[in-house]
Amino acid sequence: MRIDETHRKWFIGSLVGLAVAVVVYVPYSRSSPQGAGGGTTMGLIYGSVAFAFMIFAGLLGARKKVPIWRLGRAQAWMRGHLWLGFVSFPLIVLHSGFHFGVGLTKALMWLFAVVFVSGIVGAVLQHFMPRITTQRIPLETIYEQIGRVRLQLMEEAISLVDEAYALLHGDVSQANEQQRAASASAGTMGGLTVASGMQVDEEASAELKQFFQGEIQPFLAQSGSHGHVLADRNRAQAMFRQLRTLLPPNLHSTVDDLENICEEKREIDQQARYHRVLHGWLLVHIPASYALLILGAVHAVMALRY
Amino acid sequence: MNPAAKLVELTIDGTAVSVPQGTTIFDAARTHGIPIPTLCHQQNENPVGVCRVCVVDIGQRVYAASCIRQAEQGMTVKTNTAPVVGVRHTLVELLMSDHPSPCARQQHSGDCELERLAEQAGIQQPRFARRTTPRGHDDSSLAIAVDHEACILCDRCIRGCDDIRNNWVLARRGKGYQAGIAFDNNLPMGGSSCVSCGECMVSCPTGALTNRSAVGTKLEGGALDIGALLGLPIFKNVSGTFLELNSHAIVERKFRAGEIICREGDFGATAFYLVDGKVEVYLSSPIAHVKTEGSAKGFLSKLRSMLQSREQDERTEESSRVSIPIDAPVDLPYDHPIAELGPGDLFGEMTCMSYYPRSATVRAKTDCTMLEMLRNVLDIMQRNKTFREQLDRTYRQRALDSHLRSVPVLASLTPDFIDHLRNRVELLRFTPGQVICTQGEPADSFYLVRLGFVKVAQSRPGGELVLAYLARGSYFAEMSLLTGTPHMATCSALDHVEVVRVPGEDFQVMLDRFPEIRRKLEEAAAEHMEQNRQRVTKVADVTVDQFLNQGLMEAQSLLILDLDRCTRCDQCVRACADAHDGVSRLIRDGLRFDRYLVATSCRQCRDPLCMVGCPVGSIRRRNTLEVIIEDWCIGCGQCANNCPYGNINMHPFPVELDDPAYPGRRMAGVKVKATSCDLCLDHAEPSCVYACPHDAAHRVNPLEFFGGLLKRQTVAKSGK
Repeated sequence: MRIDETHRKWFIGSLVGLAVAVVVYVPYSRSSPQGAGGGTTMGLIYGSVAFAFMIFAGLLGARKKVPIWRLGRAQAWMRGHLWLGFVSFPLIVLHSGFHFGVGLTKALMWLFAVVFVSGIVGAVLQHFMPRITTQRIPLETIYEQIGRVRLQLMEEAISLVDEAYALLHGDVSQANEQQRAASASAGTMGGLTVASGMQVDEEASAELKQFFQGEIQPFLAQSGSHGHVLADRNRAQAMFRQLRTLLPPNLHSTVDDLENICEEKREIDQQARYHRVLHGWLLVHIPASYALLILGAVHAVMALRY
Repeated sequence: MNPAAKLVELTIDGTAVSVPQGTTIFDAARTHGIPIPTLCHQQNENPVGVCRVCVVDIGQRVYAASCIRQAEQGMTVKTNTAPVVGVRHTLVELLMSDHPSPCARQQHSGDCELERLAEQAGIQQPRFARRTTPRGHDDSSLAIAVDHEACILCDRCIRGCDDIRNNWVLARRGKGYQAGIAFDNNLPMGGSSCVSCGECMVSCPTGALTNRSAVGTKLEGGALDIGALLGLPIFKNVSGTFLELNSHAIVERKFRAGEIICREGDFGATAFYLVDGKVEVYLSSPIAHVKTEGSAKGFLSKLRSMLQSREQDERTEESSRVSIPIDAPVDLPYDHPIAELGPGDLFGEMTCMSYYPRSATVRAKTDCTMLEMLRNVLDIMQRNKTFREQLDRTYRQRALDSHLRSVPVLASLTPDFIDHLRNRVELLRFTPGQVICTQGEPADSFYLVRLGFVKVAQSRPGGELVLAYLARGSYFAEMSLLTGTPHMATCSALDHVEVVRVPGEDFQVMLDRFPEIRRKLEEAAAEHMEQNRQRVTKVADVTVDQFLNQGLMEAQSLLILDLDRCTRCDQCVRACADAHDGVSRLIRDGLRFDRYLVATSCRQCRDPLCMVGCPVGSIRRRNTLEVIIEDWCIGCGQCANNCPYGNINMHPFPVELDDPAYPGRRMAGVKVKATSCDLCLDHAEPSCVYACPHDAAHRVNPLEFFGGLLKRQTVAKSGK
């Protein structure tokens, strides 16, 4: 979620709440004979409030499971998740009197730190990454469709190359209109017939075949770029420039199309990377949060009972 | 030969011949077995001598065209000398230099007369340069293909059309190198008054006019004897040659009582003419619309989609129609959508001519015989005067009444006035693109759409603005007649259209006699004018190309996703699917405008292309311009295919259907209904927007939402 001026109320509210907690904490810690701790009344209050905030933050996942239930707008839940989750960490620190403790409490504090930091990272990523994705990937597709789009690009490239082979071997029937027109104007006598302008060009055919099978096909076939030469835009441009010099002018439009296909493939690879970055932190945040809630509950029961 | 006729004697290639006075040299030679090649002449037509291929040497300064020069007493004719053959060779070579060899006729049957002559003369590659400017093709006729490139301007087709058939459709156009044949006032053949008699085609010596027998697929069924077919009253005056050429395109089908002839929603390409017996026409789809609502109110409400009829759920501005328009001479009553057709009725015209899905299910009520035909045959028949007269008569007698009453504003017409109109109205047919009435011209008639779709467009500086698409049951030109002004828009046929023309004077009589109808028409006209004014104002205000190109100006409500906020979590899609029984009505994909993604979800377009082609006219626009799908949707999916943005979905519902294997038994089945975004009307906010955790999804009016942005872009553009 983008954190902008629309978060002003939540920001001020959280800040005021935190300030109040800190202001209360100072006399409380000084007046406590054994210092501030989770076992004192104030400590328990801090802990309970923080745990309630944590539970609320954790309920966002459950809220998302029932998106059409009118339980409040999802964005309100998200704002609550962000700000209450954010405030709960300092509250827990106040609850513990700035001690990490031992055993379960220590584990809890570390777990909470992981949740807190991963949450901050997630919030930062969600603030910046959507804009970056929008700007850098104009041909964005649905993430789940990336594999399918990749296959379509491959099919398109194969069909283009087949047409080009046909053209190079004088089989006009398989050439597309653009290629026929280009061929006719590229060297036939007065543009009388397309076929008369086409001659078998074994050398060009071999070059195209080698480039397609050696570079384009492997690049399109793999799901990520993995350091492929065509994954680098500058190097790819240079390679396609060179290919154009080796092929007759009537095939330049085909090379342009193949270059565009590779560009689109680079974009979907980049989109997949961005998507993983944008959502990858959840792999840490969500399990750690569940663990935190469960262990937090265990901690609360044990602390209150014993 | 007339025995009293005076004979003349002459010599042809050394043979003395005697022929009646007035006989041409060509005929004299022919009757004595001396062949003279020709292209522009054939026996059943008056000779014109334009191709000059039949030239012969008669001992004069110039060679004579034997087809028009009459034999004279003592004449010596040489048909085969080297100079004569040389001249013919040059003529044929010149004609071949512009001829697309092999032409369509040569390819199909190998009997192009020009190419045969060229072959006999040993001409392979003409020495002369080919023309560089193409003369074009005309594929507008369903029966005849016109290849102007292959035309040698022999005029045989013109004489066939004018002198033999007396149709007077064909003529010459242009001069010199620009000359060619033309239909009416140089109209496309399909849009001309050509009756598809086929005379021009059989007269043509080359592939310039050929039979389009490839139209459609071969029909299965009983082969028909052409003689028997021509014996049927509806085929009176239809060209036998043509029927023979298209014998695969019309078959006789026999159905036993209870058999299904065609089903609603199926795609087809044929029309049926009922020769004898009776059929039932009905809708098997539930007459209900898709309603999405919460099963339990409150914050835990769960939405569910269900089918509800008009009685169960009366929506605002629900159509007050009492009948459902179908592709047949009758409309179906809304309450009991079943009707009967009898001998002489034709149904499936829209499916046949424009490939719309079948609008209703047809079942044989008694044993019946039908003629099933493809569009080339139907086209020929519809151009045939006898058949048109029969259709016209049937319409006036049986359908005019229900058609007029099916239009809500005309529902109060009395039987005596309908009787008055019965012989006054005219049934007119228009081909795709043909103009019915033109903006700025005086209005003299009121029109009701009987078949097909009419486009209403206004010509404005900068282009054409489409105001509406009118389907069967709609009417037009009433505004101009009410206000006495010229037509405010141009109405043209979007596909094969039939309209009922009510003369202006009868329309005025109707207004005078029925003040209630006048009031309703005036109210509707005022409403339309206001809507048109609003649309024109909105269009005039928008100048940003991308906004216009993406059709955003046409939208009334857009689902947009702010891509700077959207984390691509798909909660919106999930919410939409949850709200509609797992069938999402939005896809998080589409075109971008600025930093917004215009998601694939109904835009409530002002120019709703989805409405074009609905075979039963069940998708329409409310006065609020919101798209509504009426209860009698048959689930054919035509609107979903037509929506340029992919915003209409087909929602399946379990229903009970007739078991075709066991008549009388029911079986479980699925019927689909078209649905588009309903904005989750039961709730204050659409589910997709409500469920977006990132404040990225919004439902907006594009002109209001993008107003500021558009102004900035326009200023920036004009600043450059």
